[in-house]
Amino acid sequence: MKYAQTLLIPFQLLTFVMMLLALYTIFIYAPVEKTMGVIQKIFYIHVPTAFLAYMAFFITFIASILYLYRKDSIWDTVAHCAVETGVIFCTIVLITGSIWAKPIWNVWWTWDPRLTTTLILWFTYVAYLMLGRVVKENQRANLAAVFGIIGFINVPITFFSIRLWRTIHPVVITGSGFNMSWPMKFSLIITLIAFCFLFFSMLISKIRLERLKKCVEEIKEIMETGI
Amino acid sequence: MDNSVYLFAAFSITWTVIFIFIFKLFRSQKVLGSQIDKIKKALPKNIESDSRHP
Repeated sequence: MKYAQTLLIPFQLLTFVMMLLALYTIFIYAPVEKTMGVIQKIFYIHVPTAFLAYMAFFITFIASILYLYRKDSIWDTVAHCAVETGVIFCTIVLITGSIWAKPIWNVWWTWDPRLTTTLILWFTYVAYLMLGRVVKENQRANLAAVFGIIGFINVPITFFSIRLWRTIHPVVITGSGFNMSWPMKFSLIITLIAFCFLFFSMLISKIRLERLKKCVEEIKEIMETGI
Repeated sequence: MDNSVYLFAAFSITWTVIFIFIFKLFRSQKVLGSQIDKIKKALPKNIESDSRHP
């Protein structure tokens, strides 16, 4: 535990440095897109946050399977914390996408397959978080694990929605790779790495905090019962 | 309207959401810290009261 704490501080410092580098590449290094203009720069936060939201829900999926298999509470904590972080990133995806759509599509929102499936994804995992407040604690972990596994079905549907249905959402990743110039591609990679650092900093901190909370609650119970 | 307003809005909302999350983490950590302090203070008393009983 102490070893992890010592590693977490340099990791968080590195996250800060990477974030500064990402901002430099977005605003100074990356060129301004010809047709969309500066608004295209939203793409550098929209794409990495979308990728990390999917990753968070994938972590929940794996942790939920592990919880049902091993019945170890650590996996329930990991799944729950990953959903919390994933919902934060998914919220950012919806907001930034909507802000980008206004000047480009002339609407804040349209019922496009990608937008609709992302909104369903967001509602699914918000429901997962609300589950903890409605269901009794002894039932919650099992139910949440099942929810975490079934809810993940939405992720591939959301990702492939632009290929499965007719959509107006831009397709960035094609069969031949990233559909953009090298400086833009480089800026996206740097931003993606920076957001990965941020995501794992947030997730690890959250998991540590939740584990510590459980430990304190257990100690309090022991002290109150006087064992 | 200049599109840079939208760009500014997108970036500021993103960072606000992230900072709210980090702020909530710090606040929970602070609450937990004070709870640990209370436990630390209560622990010697328990040990003392336990040692009185044979």
